[in-house]
Amino acid sequence: MSYAAWQNRIPAHWLLVFVPATVLLVFFVLPNALLLSASFQKSQAQQLTAEITLDNYRFLFTRSLYLEVFARTFIVGFSVGVLDVLLGYPLAYFLVRTQSRWKGLLIALSLAPLLASVVVRTYGWYIILNRFGFANDVLLGLGIIEDRVPFMPSTGAIIVGLAHALLPYTVLTIMGSLNGINPHFESAAMSLGANRVRTFLHVVLPLSLPGIVGGFLLVFSIAISAYATPAILGGPATQVAATAIYNFIIQLLDWSLGAALAVVLIVSSLLLLYAAGRAGARRATV
Amino acid sequence: MNGRRAFARWRATAAPWALLRAFVIFVYVFSLGPILITAAVSFNASNRSFFPPRGFSLRWWERAVAPEWMDSLLFSLKLGSLTALLGTLLALPLAFALYRYRFRGRQALLALTLGPLMMPTLVTGVGLLQLLQSLGWREYLGFTGLLIGHVVICMPFAVRTVSVSLQTLPPNLELAAASLGANRLATMRHVVFPLIKTGLMAGAVFAFIHSFTDVNLSIFLARPGETPITVKILGFLEFGFAPTLAAVSVITLLLPLVLVAIVQRVSGLGDFLYGERNRA
Repeated sequence: MSYAAWQNRIPAHWLLVFVPATVLLVFFVLPNALLLSASFQKSQAQQLTAEITLDNYRFLFTRSLYLEVFARTFIVGFSVGVLDVLLGYPLAYFLVRTQSRWKGLLIALSLAPLLASVVVRTYGWYIILNRFGFANDVLLGLGIIEDRVPFMPSTGAIIVGLAHALLPYTVLTIMGSLNGINPHFESAAMSLGANRVRTFLHVVLPLSLPGIVGGFLLVFSIAISAYATPAILGGPATQVAATAIYNFIIQLLDWSLGAALAVVLIVSSLLLLYAAGRAGARRATV
Repeated sequence: MNGRRAFARWRATAAPWALLRAFVIFVYVFSLGPILITAAVSFNASNRSFFPPRGFSLRWWERAVAPEWMDSLLFSLKLGSLTALLGTLLALPLAFALYRYRFRGRQALLALTLGPLMMPTLVTGVGLLQLLQSLGWREYLGFTGLLIGHVVICMPFAVRTVSVSLQTLPPNLELAAASLGANRLATMRHVVFPLIKTGLMAGAVFAFIHSFTDVNLSIFLARPGETPITVKILGFLEFGFAPTLAAVSVITLLLPLVLVAIVQRVSGLGDFLYGERNRA
């Protein structure tokens, strides 16, 4: 067979994707497969053994310490999602409907925090929330508190920090679904006698529901796997899944438990994203 | 016009809008405040991160531009640039195959391509660390390992932006070029490439920023001496919060901002954010 004939036998699309697909298979699929298998292997003396077991999962789901970590992770994810929808929705609505000539700048400003690393954005919260921080100074000055209160490390601080870090995601998602609503619906409702509030509650809000659900789930899924913010504002006493995984793998060198915890995180995250996709898919059919 | 009716109208329309504006101002303060506070703190004369800053000094900035921090910053810049380059180079053929051809296994390939976007990056980091260790490639931790990881997690961004460009490009254009006698390479170089340049550029910028700001993957693959700036700041935050860190943070914030401003000037990124939105 000549070279030209051989070349013609392989379809062009496979030639195109050969290199990138191999990179992804070797450096993305294979590592995840290894991780999945490690989660079912027994660890001994900081080494994985060939023994297949469900003990890693049993351990994680029976120790109150780790049940607490799961609970905290999901409380954080849920609260961050709710907070970001509550803060992001009005902002998104404003950005979509405003006639201001600064509209472009305002949109840019609302998304600009995405350019800063989470570490940078969390640093600001440390300055505000620590025992000798800005919040304490203000509250003392106003006479609301009498003694300095350590606002961090705490689960609340993690929630505030992450809500701050992830806000642009809900703004983007909700803006997406608001942009898809025909503004004439609103004028129609108002010309039929509904005021702005009623129009909003009965027309705009229901139509933008998929954006709300999508944004909530997206933020939820990012929040449950966030590392930096919980590490800075939470500390060792308030661990979440991501910091616990880091501990298992880097400090304790316990690959089995770290891997099992990671698998739990993957499954929860994929389920949330799948649900977010479903919400988005419904949007497309409206 | 009847005054009372005018007032009722105003209340029905303007008041909710005014309320909304007040709330929006609050959200902007919430969102930008902590970043501005960090910037202010870096000018402290005191050696703790006080806000409002006590006194004014530039000594923390002097320390921030010392080699200790600048080396990490350069490391991150190098990593981000190479990631952007390799990520877009790998994304281009992927996007082409996915959006120009219909073939069996396309859905699977699409899932593979966007997979790193769905999977928590932290998990990808753990997996790569395990892979490198089980192959006995510990010496590749640090720059090489980080580069591999960053390319994997940044590639989907470039695939998306390039595919947005490709989808706005009528396929007939390529046929037209071919019918005028251009071969595949010439069509690619003179017709397709100039038209998808913006998409490639946007992909490279997103990849760079994603790499430059990443923490979740880098904490597992870095090693002493080969540490991205974000991981280095994080490491120091566990020990203390000297205003140097604030100054370093501001530098790492300004770099991507300047980059985006330049690219926005030259070719425009806004459309691609909307492109992202449609796919999110």
